[in-house]
Amino acid sequence: MSDLVWDWPLRLWHWTLALFVFIAWFTPNKYDSLHRFAGYVVIGLLVFRVGWGFVGTRHSRFRTLRARLRAAPAYLWGLGHGITGRYMGLNPAGAAMMVALLSLLTISTITGAMEVTVSFFGVWWVEDTHTYSSDAVMILVLLHVLGTILMSVLLRENLIWAMFTGRKLRRRGE
Amino acid sequence: MNCFGKFLLAISISVFAGSAALADGYKNCTKLNKASWKPASDAEAKAKAAGYEVRRSKVEGSCYEVYGVKEGKLYELFYSPEDLSLKHTIAK
Repeated sequence: MSDLVWDWPLRLWHWTLALFVFIAWFTPNKYDSLHRFAGYVVIGLLVFRVGWGFVGTRHSRFRTLRARLRAAPAYLWGLGHGITGRYMGLNPAGAAMMVALLSLLTISTITGAMEVTVSFFGVWWVEDTHTYSSDAVMILVLLHVLGTILMSVLLRENLIWAMFTGRKLRRRGE
Repeated sequence: MNCFGKFLLAISISVFAGSAALADGYKNCTKLNKASWKPASDAEAKAKAAGYEVRRSKVEGSCYEVYGVKEGKLYELFYSPEDLSLKHTIAK
């Protein structure tokens, strides 16, 4: 049995975000206008995600986020002992990853946009914050992909494919 | 893990491998030994003389990159540390 977990706007949002973050990563300095365009698209996507966190379907909403964030350290400890838990939406580690990624993307895009204003052009901390937050985003993206693959193996379910179809296997306890 | 997962993993790794090479802008201005370079302040002075409000300068590869603002527009000016000739201008 499988259930619809990720609604279609969330899925479209996820892969559009992945695409434009990917584009932005490859275009600084060399393809300035494309880099800037990608950044503005990401800002728009971040705004959408915050809104969708309130009006989206169950697993898109931020309602249980605080509890999941609190549970994240214990969850990661348990994962080290092979305990995966049963979650239809994001598990606590996934929720922590989402918050970290969205926060860093917000910092990265805002400082990126600031860099090309007359007020902040050439201001070292703006440039450095943009560089380091962007690097951190890519490191987290890699961990996010590795984490998803790890959970797919442990749960014997293709979670990457689930972000295309939106459907995940029903688990006992849900 | 299936093929798709491996595909994504391969992409992730290539992102990191490829980024270092792609992320760079203009950076070749001179082959002169760094010890013989003219000071960066000379490059800044040259940008000022050309009518730019200089915000900052830094070494980028073998160039002095000067951040300049002129008539509300943003420019990155690349000077050769060898003879302070303007090698490249990027309008931001």
